Amino acid sequence: MKKLLLVLFILASHWSFAQTEVKREVVGRDIGQLKGIKISGRITDEITGDALVGATVTVPELNINRITDNNGAFELTLERAEYNLQFRYVGYETIIYPITAVGDGRIAIRMIQEDFQLDDVVIYGRDPEKNIRSTDMGAITLSMNTMRELPPFLGEVDIIRSMATLPGVSQVGEAAAGLNVRGGGADQNLIQFAGAPIYNPTHLFGLFTSFNADAVNDVTLYKSVIPARFGGRGSSILDILPKAGSIDRWGGDLMLSNFSGKVGFNGPLVKEKVSIRGGFRGSYINWFLGALSNPDLKNSQANFYDGNLVISAPVSENTEFTYSYYTSYDDFAFASDTTISWKNNSHSLQWKSRFNTKMGIEALGYYTQYDYSIFNRSGINDFDLNSGIQDFGVKAYMYYLFSETNKITFGADIKQVKLQPGELIPSQGQESGILPKKVQDELGRESGVHFQHEFEIGEKFGMSYGLRYDMYNYYGPRVVRQYAENEPISDGSAISETTYADGEKIESYNGLGPRGSLRYSFSKSSSIKVGYNKMYQFIHLISNTATIAPTDIWKLSDNYLKPQIVDQISLGFYNNFKGNIFETSVEVYYKDIQNVVEYKDGANLILQNHIETELVPANGRAYGIELYVKKNLGRLTGWVSYTYSRSLRQVITPFEEEIINDGEWYASNFDKPHDVTLIGNYKVSTNTSVSATFGYSTGRPVTFPEAKFDYSGNSLAYFDRRNEQRLPDFHRLDLAVNFKLKGKGKFYDGDWTFSILNVYGRKNPFSLFFVDELGAPPQALKLAVLGVPLPSISYSIKF
Amino acid sequence: MLRKYYYVILLFLLAACIEPYSAEIEEGAQLLTVDGFISSAPGPHSIKLTRSDTYGSVFEGLIRPVSNATVIVRDDLGKVTFLSEDAEDRGVYYTPANFSAEIGRAYTLQIQLVDGKVYTSFPERVESGPELKNISVDVLKIAVEGEINERSGVQLIAEIDDPSDQNNFYYYRTGESTYVLKTRPDLFTPRPSETNPSRDPQPKDCCITCFRTELLGNQGIYLAQDDNFNGLSTKIPAGFIEDDGNRFVETYRTVLSQLSISQDAYRFLRLVKQQVEISGSVFDPPPANIRGNMISLDNPEEVVLGYFLAAGETRKTVYIDGNQLDFRQPVTIIPDDCRVIEGSQLNPPADWNP
Repeated sequence: MKKLLLVLFILASHWSFAQTEVKREVVGRDIGQLKGIKISGRITDEITGDALVGATVTVPELNINRITDNNGAFELTLERAEYNLQFRYVGYETIIYPITAVGDGRIAIRMIQEDFQLDDVVIYGRDPEKNIRSTDMGAITLSMNTMRELPPFLGEVDIIRSMATLPGVSQVGEAAAGLNVRGGGADQNLIQFAGAPIYNPTHLFGLFTSFNADAVNDVTLYKSVIPARFGGRGSSILDILPKAGSIDRWGGDLMLSNFSGKVGFNGPLVKEKVSIRGGFRGSYINWFLGALSNPDLKNSQANFYDGNLVISAPVSENTEFTYSYYTSYDDFAFASDTTISWKNNSHSLQWKSRFNTKMGIEALGYYTQYDYSIFNRSGINDFDLNSGIQDFGVKAYMYYLFSETNKITFGADIKQVKLQPGELIPSQGQESGILPKKVQDELGRESGVHFQHEFEIGEKFGMSYGLRYDMYNYYGPRVVRQYAENEPISDGSAISETTYADGEKIESYNGLGPRGSLRYSFSKSSSIKVGYNKMYQFIHLISNTATIAPTDIWKLSDNYLKPQIVDQISLGFYNNFKGNIFETSVEVYYKDIQNVVEYKDGANLILQNHIETELVPANGRAYGIELYVKKNLGRLTGWVSYTYSRSLRQVITPFEEEIINDGEWYASNFDKPHDVTLIGNYKVSTNTSVSATFGYSTGRPVTFPEAKFDYSGNSLAYFDRRNEQRLPDFHRLDLAVNFKLKGKGKFYDGDWTFSILNVYGRKNPFSLFFVDELGAPPQALKLAVLGVPLPSISYSIKF
Repeated sequence: MLRKYYYVILLFLLAACIEPYSAEIEEGAQLLTVDGFISSAPGPHSIKLTRSDTYGSVFEGLIRPVSNATVIVRDDLGKVTFLSEDAEDRGVYYTPANFSAEIGRAYTLQIQLVDGKVYTSFPERVESGPELKNISVDVLKIAVEGEINERSGVQLIAEIDDPSDQNNFYYYRTGESTYVLKTRPDLFTPRPSETNPSRDPQPKDCCITCFRTELLGNQGIYLAQDDNFNGLSTKIPAGFIEDDGNRFVETYRTVLSQLSISQDAYRFLRLVKQQVEISGSVFDPPPANIRGNMISLDNPEEVVLGYFLAAGETRKTVYIDGNQLDFRQPVTIIPDDCRVIEGSQLNPPADWNP
């Protein structure tokens, strides 16, 4: 009851030598208390009323920093005195709030987005000193405000491409969809939106990321010591959190660019109780295609859209329910006879509750579906080919705070994955010369229990250790083959078949995944951390290409395909300068990967009932050093990162014909040893900013032919050792200019963004290939995805 | 297939480009290459031996024939057939004309080079295959970037009854073709010379109509396996003949061969096809090491390229009436006597029977 008493006395007082009068608030009911005064509060957005999660509260007089929780709430324990509290949050104006604490009380802070007032840009990840103090390693949060400072891709903020500017994160090439984190494959990243996994977050075969940036609050990438509550993927977790709507006013936004447009709205469904936010983005490139003269293009059709909806109900100050929906759809019809389409749909329902200041729970249930189809209407043997994935799962964890610096988290999760790897359906209504074929469905259940303990020992030491126990079962119905032991697995070496009934367990795997990190602080602004992590992965992307393609097949672990096991150790040194204006870090890591999937030469992956005949197990290892300097504050902000890393593979089996490169370690498809990124954003004036991104990396490995030979009238290349040569180095500069044109209304403004990708028109080869054309010598050709400077323009308004 | 779409998107963005790249390629290995097949059709069948060379310019690495080798084919009953080298076309070894492979027998190819090195293939079993029931044709248009006129041609579609009791692998080849060639000797205009300075047409009296015989270069590799149509009557794209403005003016005749090949041979040819069709896109598979079925008996480490095929063969002749096609290229006018064109003669082949 005492805590709920809020007494506000406003007194005038003089602050320092300043001539302006600053109001100093007296907080609490004065009952003569001298120590242990508890001041709690909540920080919200002035305009939308949204809770600001992860804002920093600083008491400079006592050297105390606190971070607001999931409700934007914080609590301070103070002595009876005067304080100048500071409240800071990414993209918001810092508030200095003088108080006199006389008794337990509450304060409500409303912060204003700095877009309206400040010249400076702050690109803190939430808490400016978090990188030094926390025991987290390799966890990077980018807020949407930070991503908006980067030059946009085709007029839009691209989440996945933004992540690839961080140290240790790369992409295979300019139009590739997947991320490679610290030498891991694209399937080793769990991309989740509002807690639900998303299998193919791309539009137009990977040219666009299919997350609408306006629906996203922030994105966190865990690439090193992954918290124990996450499991199931080897290299990283990309956790994308949706943005809730406002509970007290309606608003909206609209954006148009030369490729796509989007609209969004948000507001109180029930005033102060339930908020809603919705967004839709669609392409209008069809008329564009139709206007082209190339006949193939003219007859092609491309459509994509994505949509999302978040309904959030903070039923009390301590309890909140959030429902999130995400959908994306693509189809591409080439010259109107074959259509490829893919779609994602995901639902999640989250319950967050805080029982008291020490204890709380978060629970989430989700259902996600990914479907992929090819429709062939060429006139010869027309067919539909469908495949899909359905996941549903629940997860829950609780936390308990022994003290401010001593926290345990524990929980459990279970998920069921159902795969339809492919079904070929001959078209009805005509005589089709093909047979229907269905690859056996797959069913697996993954579950895990976990706990984590984070604590500090004195000022200097911090520690976090956790354990996750993963269990995986693979179920029938299924026909499983057995193969002769002394021969490579192939159709020819199959000796018998076993039929498993519906729900019968075929195979199971389990394992303990410990993780831990230790932090030692030299001072308030520098620390050293060491961490270890073990992850298990039971689902694999079976792809014969270097990137994520919609045609890729996902496959669960079975008797032949063992789980991928990733061990990583890392060491990091962190130092902030000049009051956290500069943030620097050096991280080194070593990673060992077991059971990576590699392919036999010319593997046939589509409609394969026994895909083990096309695969060979490989070992992987990766290591590297990552240097990072970031300027958080000022007219000029941005970062510079340099990574030296290697990503290697090795294939040794007892059978000579399966061995690749004589069993020696060779570079993986995404091994790019040197990688430099420079990112800068300069505020020319309150309303104008200029941003630039420059990237350089070693060319990725390619295989050159060892010789040419004639066969059947074709001149062919003979390849022997894989990935022994490299493409020319990659480098590219992107520029963007942003103007904010102030509208007449108070909360109305319009943003014009002009950007040029690949400013100096570098033809970065994505690949080299070798062709033999009649009348010309066989030749090496290079394909550059972005061969010229690519301009784009976008306009957006908020209301 | 996906590569094609990807291309389109890149082109649509008007940003992608493909250009020559001068890769520094080391001097290539000179590896023995075996190219050829024997089949159940009447002989002679030929095997060509060459050596691989540096990839890249024709001047740097010339594919040279391997001459004076002893080449034999041995079946699994021990019967040996010698192949003899062609006197003019060096490196090409022919079986006797009366040789044809027997269905169900397995054959090995053995080679001894002049330096004494001996090579052998793994045994290849000759598989039986169904008859070619019919060959239908379909016009295929190919848009060419930067050109207003589309390329076009005739796609051959094999119609077969796939046997249900076996796993079949098919390889299609187009053989010798003949067509009615129309020229315009009335427009003949010789190049002006000192003895004949006129620039006017000097019509020739003969001849307007010839029969031209040609061997089509391979326009892609046509393969099929019956996983998706086992036991069905099906249609399989089996070849492509480009319309050059002459071929389909009247009648075109070609012979389609259907080779029933082994699973290993299919796997090899699929890799060849994959490489021939590569485009450099994001969705290209990584380059594959195309392993054949030849080994060296002297040095197991030595790589031998190519594949020795032994196949059951069925052939069918098809006549294509140009007037029945729904799209043809504009006629290319040849202002000369049709007999001067290579491979032309006035009389139809003896078996011409459209």
